[in-house]
Order: sequence, then structure tokens, then C-alpha cells
Amino acid sequence: MRRVPLSLSIKLPLVLSVVVSVVAATIGVAMLDRDRQRLREELNGRAVLLARTVAAIAPEPVLRGDPWALFKSLRQSVRGPESAREKALISAMVLDPQGRVLAHLEPAAFPIGLPVMRPDSPEWPRLQAELAARVPDVFEGDGFVEGVAPVQASGYTVGLARVRLSTGELDQQTAAAATTVLLLSVGMAVIGIILGAAWSIRTLRPLRLLSRSMYDLGRGIFRPLQVSRRDEIGQLAISFNEMAAEIEDKRRLQSEVAANEKVLALGRIAAGVAHEVNNPLAGMLNCLSTLRAEKNDPALVARYLPLIESGLRKIEALVKDLLIELRVEDAREIVDSGCLEDVRDLVNAEIDPRLIEFVWDNRLGADDLFNGPKMQQILLNLLRNAVQAMPDGGRLLCRLRRDGSTLVFEVEDTGHGIAKHDLSRIFDPFFTSRPAGTGLGLWIVLRLAQSLGGSVEVDSAPGRGTKFRVRIPQEQPRVPQPA
Amino acid sequence: MIFSMLRFALIFAAALSSLAQAASAADGPIRFGLTAAVVRENLNLYERWADYLGRKVGRPVEFVQRRTYREAIELLRTGEHDFSWVCSFPYAKYRDEKFFGLMAVPVFEGKPLYRAYLIVHKDSPIRTFEELQGRVFAYSEPDSNTGYAVPRQMLFDAGKNPDRFFRQTFFTYSHTETIEAVAERVADGASVDSYVWEYLARREPRLTANTRIISRSKDYGFPPLVYRSGIDEALRQRMTDALLGMDQDSEGRALLDELVLDRFSAASPSLFDGVSLNLERR
Repeated sequence: MRRVPLSLSIKLPLVLSVVVSVVAATIGVAMLDRDRQRLREELNGRAVLLARTVAAIAPEPVLRGDPWALFKSLRQSVRGPESAREKALISAMVLDPQGRVLAHLEPAAFPIGLPVMRPDSPEWPRLQAELAARVPDVFEGDGFVEGVAPVQASGYTVGLARVRLSTGELDQQTAAAATTVLLLSVGMAVIGIILGAAWSIRTLRPLRLLSRSMYDLGRGIFRPLQVSRRDEIGQLAISFNEMAAEIEDKRRLQSEVAANEKVLALGRIAAGVAHEVNNPLAGMLNCLSTLRAEKNDPALVARYLPLIESGLRKIEALVKDLLIELRVEDAREIVDSGCLEDVRDLVNAEIDPRLIEFVWDNRLGADDLFNGPKMQQILLNLLRNAVQAMPDGGRLLCRLRRDGSTLVFEVEDTGHGIAKHDLSRIFDPFFTSRPAGTGLGLWIVLRLAQSLGGSVEVDSAPGRGTKFRVRIPQEQPRVPQPA
Repeated sequence: MIFSMLRFALIFAAALSSLAQAASAADGPIRFGLTAAVVRENLNLYERWADYLGRKVGRPVEFVQRRTYREAIELLRTGEHDFSWVCSFPYAKYRDEKFFGLMAVPVFEGKPLYRAYLIVHKDSPIRTFEELQGRVFAYSEPDSNTGYAVPRQMLFDAGKNPDRFFRQTFFTYSHTETIEAVAERVADGASVDSYVWEYLARREPRLTANTRIISRSKDYGFPPLVYRSGIDEALRQRMTDALLGMDQDSEGRALLDELVLDRFSAASPSLFDGVSLNLERR
């Protein structure tokens, strides 16, 4: 619950900064590439221009065979005044059509009259291509560009001007620009982190409040959220408040309904009790008034006393059942299935073994714990019902087992079964198909099972018998609290 | 009558105007040719020297730079120049034609003599003239003594063919530029006027510092100052006096000092007989 906003408040600025810096870096690299291309073209242009300048002044001294004048012209064209000097210049020369030096900026290394390089030089093929050039051109090499221009006089090529410029400056400028882009990207990332952090704090605070309020709402505490914004999050808070208010209303309504139902159920039970008591009561009062009128008729006494006793017994049974329900309702005793042996003994004593075959199949272990008094009452009621459903005998099966963390209690008989239209009513209080029944037995079973968090299923067909299955969650052993 | 008077007046006027023209020609600047024999880079010095000489001779003097000795000599012959400072080689070559005469010889380091310096770059491994075989050699110009005739004579005397000895040669038409060509290593070696080299070594050592002298030739008569033969005798005398007397006044001495010369002296044409020996074209 706390980890989600924490990680979001980091993720959000991180993602933002990554996106921002990636965008900045991408744009930077694209611009860098364009810039480098432009600088490269500019450098190429400068190289060709210098070569053309040299080629333009070369013909006269070349034709005159004046290497000194040619050297001075070359020096003048490429060195020139200090301000206009080409800083990237590596070398400049004028060659004759055979590749021999007519003038070179470094005469010591490249003496006039000698070939500028040997045929085994790696640059030889390029030199041949350059010597074949009929128009000014640029040749690119490793770390330099070479501008060449043929020296032409009267339409004849009498030599080649060759100027080599370094791309070092270019590389330096690119490196400097790359550094700028990198710094910019890092700066953007930092700004992205700061903005993202601020943004996420601003965005996540109401979300966190909302989350806490939702958590509280789940526990029945409703605090309306402060609505301080008009955006989606503000809308969310408004919606939450509305929803929470509705939930709160519904909950209140539900508790009111439940209270009403309790009162109603109580009323129904009271009415049932009154009705159940009233029936025998009327008979008994009738008997009493007849006996009072015919005091001296012993035959009447002999006839009426059993009737009165029967009525009183019925009332006694009703009261006993109600008392059982009240007594067991608050029971808390957690035990294992050993306590159910009492129930078996009780039922064994009540049945005629010649008529009814009672099978007891207990597969629960010592760790399968449950609420003992409640379960005893449930099982007793079900078993008694089953016995009464088999007045002509049959087979009674009680099986206790565990299914995962659920305890399953099954009571199966081979009695007359329950009519289909009665199935939906058998758990209603005071519903009974037997004249002597109180109609409270199954009602008590259902109430107790529900109070244990369990359920009751019934599977019955008339003439074939009935099977009740009670499922309750297994109880955890009570660990004694240290004193 | 009126016509004859008018005609006379016209003739008189014409005569007057031509007289005026003659006078203005005579009063015009004296053209003094300069050549590769001297260092031509210090223009300011020559302006002040021209001014000095102009005051001494009573007429403005103008130094005119000429690219070649032949040019300077020919302009003496045509009369365009009245004086010239030429190389000893063209002097020896043309002196018999008598269209110019010897006026003065500079005295350099105590003597009216100079020599050829064989130079290479200071970092060059070359130690002797013979080692320059197959290399690039810079000449001053075909009419130069120390810049052309002397090294070729030396090669010839050593039994070499001066036309085949070097891989390549070229002319710079200036001793200063010859020194520069060696300093820049365009030429592997060169022969230069010892006066120009020494002048630069004292005034502008930037170039000479990069060169090394591997050989000195024998002495020759210093490039002389000559006059045109048809020149006014008085003017020639005034110019000669002005030059020879330069070491007599402080201004002249200062100029001589800047020229790295002791003084100017009168000399006999026989001073250049040694140069004449080089006239035999090798």
C-alpha cells in the first residue's frame, strides 16, 4: 500500500528525465551531424578555393620555368597576410603533370624537380586520380581533405595545384559541440528530475490521500476529501466523495433494514410461539372447563388428563427448543470431534436398532477443531430429524470429514424425503410436516451454521431419502495468551 | 612689316619656350640606377641618401631600382640614367664600349673588394661545393659576377661541367632573394655577393641566420658606381666629390654606416681585371 506511491514518485521524474534527455540528445546528435556536414563542405570549399587560387597564378612561372617565383606565389597564396591565413593548412604544392614537385611549401622535405612520392606510397593511387583531374576537385583522406586544381595554360594542363587542409579543427569543433550537447542533455535530465519530482509530489499527494481514504472507507471510516483542484484528480476526489457518501448511505440503510428485520423476525417468532402455544392451550382450557362442569365423572378425567399432558408436553418441547437456541447461541468452546461421540451415544439410545441401522463414520483428526456446543446441537437436530423421517426403519449415515480447510458434516437417511414444494420452506421457523414437531429444529441448524460462517445444503427426493451437508470453516487452535 | 614683326615675335616666343624646356630638363632629377649589387629592401635609406646627394650636387637625385644589370647598363647607354651602381661583371664586360666611366668604388671592410659566398642552409649536411652535385642551386642573374660567373668558373676550374653539375638551377634576380631561397630550402645551395650577405647579417639577420657559408671565393673589385659618358662634366665632378666626401661629414658617415660601407674611393679600372677573367663564358 505504501510502496506504490513511493515507486511512482521515483518512476515519474525518472521517466520524464529520460524522455527529456533522450529527446535533447537526439536533436543534439541530429544537429551535430548537420553541423559537421556543413563544416565539412565549408572545408572542402576552402580547399578547392585555395587550390584554384594557386592554380590561377601558377601558369606564368610554370611556363617560364621559374621555381623561385612559383614558390613565392604559392607561399603568398596560401600563407598570405596573417589575418587571412588558412589555419587548417597542412601542405600546398604545385606538381608537374608527372607528379614532380615544381613548388612545395616544405621544400626541404619535398625538393623541387623530384617526384612528390614514390609509386609504392599508399597515396599513389589518389595522386594519379588527382593528376587526371581536369576540373578543380576535392579528395577526402584520413584526417584531411585535399583540394586540387589543374594548372592550365592555353588549354593545356601544365601542372597541378594541390592543397591539403586538416579536418582536425572540424573534429575539434564537433567534439566541442558534442560536449555542449552532452552537457545540455545532462542539464535537461537534471531539470527533468526536478520538474518530475515536483510534478509527482503534486500529483501523487491527492492520490495518496485518496488511497488512504479508500482504505479507511473499507473499514467504515468516511472522511470527505478536500477538493482543491479542477483537473482530473479533482474530479476523482469529487467522484470519490460522492461514491463514499452513497456507500455510507447504503450502509446506514442496510443496518436499519437489518435492525428492522431482526424486529420482524422477533415478531414472527413471537407470533409463532403464541400460535404454537395457543393451539394446545385452547384444547387444554376446553378440557379444564369440561372437567370443572363434570367434576364427578372419573371417566372424563381419565380421558382428558392425557390430552392436557400432551398439550403441556408440546409447549415444553417448544420452550426447550427455544432455550437450546438461546443457550447455544453464545457458545465459544473450541474442541475436536471427540465431543460428538456424546451425540452418537444419545442418538443410539433413542433409536430401535432393529429398525434403524446407524452408521457413524468419523474421519476427523485431533487437529480438526470447531465450535463444540454449536456443532453438537446441529448434528443432534439433523440426526433426530432423520430418525423421525424413518418411522418404518432404514439406514442412518453420519459422516464427518475435512475438505481442505473446511469441515464437512453429512447426515443421510433413507426416509420418506421432503416434498419439492416444501424444500424452500424447511428452514423457516415453525415450519413442520410432523404434528408433534415444533418447526424450530432446522431453523436452529441454519442459524448456528451461519453463525459459524458456514452453510447448509440439502439434497432430497420423496421416497428416496434426504441428505444434509453442513460445511463450516476449520477453527484455529487457541494459543494461550501469556499472562 | 607688321607680318615680319609678328613672325619675329613668334620665332622669339618659340625660342624662349624651347630654352625653358631645355632648362627644365637640365634641372630635372638626376636618375641614379640601382641593381642587385646593393640591398634594395631599405627604401627609406635610399631616399635619405638621394636627398643627401641632391643637396651636395645642387639637383634632386632619384634612385631608380632596376631588375637586371643589363637593364641598368642599357639605360646608361640610352641616356635615361646618368649614374648607376652596377655589378662588377657588367662593368668589366662593357667598359671597353666607353659609354660609361668609373666614378667611385665602395670600400668594404677596409678594401674596395668583395667576394662570392657559397651558402647552404644552416641545417644542411653539405660541407663542400662538390657535395652540391645533383642538387638545386640558386643563381642571382646571368650578368652577376658572384651570383653566376664565379661559381660556374669554380666548377669549371674543378673540372666539372657547370651546365650539368646541378639537378636544377634558377635565377632570383636579387642576392637577398637568393639568400632567402636557401633559407627556405627551395635551393640547396647558392652563391651570393659577400657584401649583401654581410649587410643582411648585420641589419636583418633573420635570413642569413638560416644559412651557412661553406666556401669563400677569391676577392674581386667591388661593384662600382659609374657615370654616363655624355654627362655634364661639372655634374659628374660634383657627384664624384659628393660620394668621395661622404665620410667627411656626420650625415654622410651615418649613411655609410647604414650602408655597412667604410667610404667611397676613387679607383683604377684595373681593379676589375680579375672580373674580366670570368668573362670567358664557361
